[in-house]
Amino acid sequence: MKKRVAIIGGGVAGMQTALRLKRTGGIEPVIIEREEELGGKVRNWHVLFPTFTPAGEVLGALRSEVAAAGIEVLTGEEAEEFTDRSVKLRSERTIECDAVALCSGFTLFDATLKEEYGYGIYDNVYTSADLERMFSEGRVAMADGSAPRRIAFLHCVGSRDEKVCQRHCSKVCCITGVKQAIEMKRLFPTADVFNFYMDIRMFGPGYEELYREAQQRYNIHFVRGRISEASPMMDGRVQIKSEDTLTGRPLRMSVDMLVLLIGMRANDENGRFADKAGLTLAQSGFMQSRDLFLGNTESPRPGIFYAGAVTAPKSIGETLNEGFTAADRIAEYLGVK
Amino acid sequence: MTFFAPFTIPFIVGAGIMFFVLAWKYISWLRGLPKDDLKLILRGIPTTATLRSVWEVIRESLLHVRIFRVNPVLGYMHTSLAFGWFLLIAVGWIEVVAYLGSEFVPLQGHVFFKYFAAGKIANHIAFFDFAMDLLLAIVLSGVLLAWFKRLRSKAMGMRRTTKHTTGDRIALSFLWFVFPLRLAAESITAAIYGGGGFLTGSIGKALHNTLGTAVLENLYEPSWWLYSCALGGFFIALPFSRYMHIFTEIPLIFLRNYKLRPTHKESTYDNFEVQACSRCGICIDPCQLQSELGINNVQSVYFLRDRRYNMLSLSVANDCLMCGRCEAKCPVGINLNTLRLNSRDAMRNIPDERRYGYLRGLDRSEGSGRVGYFAGCMTLLTPKTLNAMERIFESAGEEVWWADRNGGVCCGRPLKLSGETDSAHKMMAYNTELFRKHGITTLVTSCPICLRVFREDYDLDGIEVLHHSEYIARLINEGRLRLSGGKGTFTYHDPCELGRGCGIYDAPREVIEAVGTLMEAEHNRRDSLCCGSSLANTVINDSQQLKIAASLTAELDATGAETIVTSCPLCKRAIARCAADRVRDLSEIVADAITK
Repeated sequence: MKKRVAIIGGGVAGMQTALRLKRTGGIEPVIIEREEELGGKVRNWHVLFPTFTPAGEVLGALRSEVAAAGIEVLTGEEAEEFTDRSVKLRSERTIECDAVALCSGFTLFDATLKEEYGYGIYDNVYTSADLERMFSEGRVAMADGSAPRRIAFLHCVGSRDEKVCQRHCSKVCCITGVKQAIEMKRLFPTADVFNFYMDIRMFGPGYEELYREAQQRYNIHFVRGRISEASPMMDGRVQIKSEDTLTGRPLRMSVDMLVLLIGMRANDENGRFADKAGLTLAQSGFMQSRDLFLGNTESPRPGIFYAGAVTAPKSIGETLNEGFTAADRIAEYLGVK
Repeated sequence: MTFFAPFTIPFIVGAGIMFFVLAWKYISWLRGLPKDDLKLILRGIPTTATLRSVWEVIRESLLHVRIFRVNPVLGYMHTSLAFGWFLLIAVGWIEVVAYLGSEFVPLQGHVFFKYFAAGKIANHIAFFDFAMDLLLAIVLSGVLLAWFKRLRSKAMGMRRTTKHTTGDRIALSFLWFVFPLRLAAESITAAIYGGGGFLTGSIGKALHNTLGTAVLENLYEPSWWLYSCALGGFFIALPFSRYMHIFTEIPLIFLRNYKLRPTHKESTYDNFEVQACSRCGICIDPCQLQSELGINNVQSVYFLRDRRYNMLSLSVANDCLMCGRCEAKCPVGINLNTLRLNSRDAMRNIPDERRYGYLRGLDRSEGSGRVGYFAGCMTLLTPKTLNAMERIFESAGEEVWWADRNGGVCCGRPLKLSGETDSAHKMMAYNTELFRKHGITTLVTSCPICLRVFREDYDLDGIEVLHHSEYIARLINEGRLRLSGGKGTFTYHDPCELGRGCGIYDAPREVIEAVGTLMEAEHNRRDSLCCGSSLANTVINDSQQLKIAASLTAELDATGAETIVTSCPLCKRAIARCAADRVRDLSEIVADAITK
């Protein structure tokens, strides 16, 4: 008889895990996805760093493989709680299983919590997610429809910020900021683009090269300093205050668009899942792996596994790799070779 | 009758040293006062302030009305000791006069009258035997309670009691022994010579029957020696220990009624306040640093102690939210926050002349109107409040001069709170000039921190300073704002600077009730909790601030109200960390309820 594995979350982590499990031949994965379609957060992204690969290409490939493999997918279903042997859904349905892979990812930081940047209060303040949507829709413009001439990106909104209880680094926003700045420069070659940052963390392959290209080829300005506040101007533009900490001087600048590079925060339901299944949370609120070296995709409890950004912010490439690792660990646990 | 015996020497020496040190201290403090303060005293003496002071001394130094209000059991403990002892002295005095008439009796003669009169009085007056025993019994009950409080403070209504210094412990031990030793000495005397009331008389009889005269004869002198030593020891320790408060509260009451106050600079007047602290520890329980974070060496009692003995460190002086919860409870009414501020000033005030060059000629204000609006730095960081105020002004048809919408200069209070008083005054002078230049008659601010410094430190004669809660309440009362009421349930958090700081409790409640239903939290008004994000504390870290905010939010949530309302941008941000979607500034709920 085939073993059954419940996969909570149908983003890239969940699909990759399911595909690998299905290929063992002895395991029947079932994906539980809250939305009406598979894909998770990547559905809202236009192109991916650092190669500008359309997100649709990655997602399309995974989706068609899932469909071709005949993997069972429950969309519009949300997990309420689970143990290693069953997942209770919000619809009162219960999925019996032999193991669980938690692939529920992360939540985007709510930029309205940083009220001083005026997101949701003034026009022309956007988040990085808004910008991706605009890229996808093919129309990037100010609120009044005109083309921006000066654009500021602000790094670390909801990351490394104790004031909003998010101490961790979200890791991918630095390179996202570089990528989006280049995209804006490509769309509006005469515009001035500024990136305000605390540190630039270019950890992945090709990232540092892209950062250099942004400065040398695209003439994007990087200013070390966090924006302290933004205020609206009569003409609808946004005035920002900051300090260039490399020259030690305060600065004030009017910009047409302010883009907040929002971080990845832990899902609210992590706490509930942990309580019900006897798992532990990291200080950041993400799920805590059994250990960071040899048990990265395992929870402290047998039969419960993790893949992707549910344990910490990760890039898409890292998430896809973890899908494989988690699937291999699950197969081992279930005795399926 | 002679009034000398060798055993009285410890008492006489102790009392002499005590009175000498007290006189020396008070005279040097008074001589160190600024000229203006001395004038206040001289002008105050022939007024009713003196009579009021006498009455207050009776109420507070003898009867301790304020402690009773905080906690009746503690009140009894303290009154039985202090007032009981006072009556023992007073009634003892009358007793001596009743027996000896107008004959001169030295101090030790009064104190040890039972010894000197033993066997020399033919007819005991029963009333005095009874009254003196009753008073002694009352004082002893106070001592028993004090012992009990040391063992189990909780039973006395205090979760925590003061951790005392060695000096205080010595003085405390002497004090605790004074009355049991007096009981022993008087009982032994009664056993040998007769007399004594229901207490000393009865114990005396029992002693007589069990020990016999020979043993009692041997115990007689030593028992009086011990009593005298306990008294003398206590008196010597008094001016150097917490018991300095017994006498110091009296001149303090007079000076306070002559309108002397501590200011942002240290003065010898402060000594009267600092040494009037009895270290009762009532300030410990209300302190959220203690109850939420377990910090227990910075509370006002310890701050005053450290300051008094010149061992104050910056980390103690700075580790205080200045929420004023302890000040509201202090039975002596010491200006705890002001004293802490002038300590910070003394330790930190190093003005940097070059830093404030940018103030010259700066004016980014806009608009014109008799009503000025000062957002303050924190409102600029919470622009929803700013937008709401704009809507309210517009709806009321008010023409507004915006002092700092495009950025302005800080009100100065944060610097003042950190002890950089002189720098703060530079900003105050700048803003005062700006307000005057634009000819406003009313100044509205949505920040209680700014409000407090405008009211306390600015010289704004002719300009009415209002918090936005007061201003909005006025608009509603005058019919200038049309609101749709009855929408939703609200609970209200009193910001420290607005409530205990400026005494504004009713205006925000009036406004909330014009919009919806108000549900009060457990601690409200003068008793309300601090949000933990106070600018005054530069020691605790972010997660400690968050812990305090979380406990406040839990209490506000317990009301079951849909929305948490506050009227301070800093409090709002603190609460938003725990209840982001449910907390709003007062102005926001008003702006939303505007009907046209």
